[in-house]
Amino acid sequence: MTREPDRSSRQPERRRVLALLGGLGTLGLLLPWLRTSAPARPVQREISLHEADFYRPHDLAG
Amino acid sequence: MTAVTCELCPRGCVIPEGAAGDCRIRVNLGGRLRATTYGRPSAVHIDPMEKKPLYHFLPGAPVFSIATAGCNLHCLNCQNWQLSQRGGEEMEEIYRLDPPELVRAAREEGCRSIAYTYSDPIVFYEYVYDTAELAHAQRLANCFITAAYINREPLRKLCGVIDAVNADLKAFDDGFYRRVNGATLKPVLDALVTMREEGVWLEVTNLLIPTLNDDPAMIRRLARWVHDELGPGTPLHFSRFQPLYRMRNLPPTPVETLDLARREAKDVGMEHVYVGNVLGHEGNSTYCPRDGTLLIGRVGFMITHYALTPDGRCPSCNERIPGVWRSAELFGEQP
Ligand code: SF4
Repeated sequence: MTREPDRSSRQPERRRVLALLGGLGTLGLLLPWLRTSAPARPVQREISLHEADFYRPHDLAG
Repeated sequence: MTAVTCELCPRGCVIPEGAAGDCRIRVNLGGRLRATTYGRPSAVHIDPMEKKPLYHFLPGAPVFSIATAGCNLHCLNCQNWQLSQRGGEEMEEIYRLDPPELVRAAREEGCRSIAYTYSDPIVFYEYVYDTAELAHAQRLANCFITAAYINREPLRKLCGVIDAVNADLKAFDDGFYRRVNGATLKPVLDALVTMREEGVWLEVTNLLIPTLNDDPAMIRRLARWVHDELGPGTPLHFSRFQPLYRMRNLPPTPVETLDLARREAKDVGMEHVYVGNVLGHEGNSTYCPRDGTLLIGRVGFMITHYALTPDGRCPSCNERIPGVWRSAELFGEQP
């Protein structure tokens, strides 16, 4: 019967490397967006939704 | 689950939670109706006033013109269907312009008026209202370009901040409205009368579509109604149809049909009848209804001749021409 080598001691280290790479990738995607984002350009940030006038709860019974 | 009833336009949509009204942009979130395109226009341009068309309102002025997605009509021949027949989430471009930013942008671009236009601004009512109120405070005029399919109460409130309207009267036939626009005629007529009662400057446009609403008898009925209910001085624009969107099977309106419509309207006593979308047509220009003097010559959206006196009179016979010719008429002279 063969056993898998024990790699558990190396897991935290690998996770840190992957997290770092992931972070750099996100930053690479974000930087061009940050540079081009300005008020006159297509909206990217979320803003709250304005409540409408002239409506009422629908009276299902009525 | 709380459904809501929208009371803005005659559709009266009953909107279940999580769903949108027929105009696509008024959404029920948790029992509250949200105007999802408020502060989020998808079209922002500077146009000449003549493009709206408004021919008797601040001629030649550049107008800061905006629209969001959505519409409460579904015209088969829509010119702006990429904008009007979509919800906000389907737009490629959405700008962030809250009312103060919009008014500031208009001023920075040298525009003394703002037009709510392209799609039907009724559906982004709250955005129009808040912007128009701010614009007024800064002596900017507000123009509303619409099919006038709106309920009376919201319309009356809106008229308090709107200075000029160009309203589409699509046909003088309810069946046409149902088949071609997905709407009905009566609420539109009521809205036009309300606008007149509220003292908003009003011009009316009728787009003539071959075989569908170009019957001379119908045109005459329409012109007579405008004459009787809105007044003979109301500018009436007959506009040329171009095959678009879901109505590509019909040809553009022949110029002869537009000429005939103009004659019919003049016959019933309309004083200012125009022909639109035909470059260089004599019906692009304004003439004195009393002595025929050419007052404002236009080629397309360009003014080529201007002879009105500063107080809007014919220089030959002194006839007063109805309209708003200078912004001082709206806001008084600049201090
Ligand atoms: S404005 Fe929109 S949601 Fe309201 S009734 Fe009209 S189509 Fe329906």
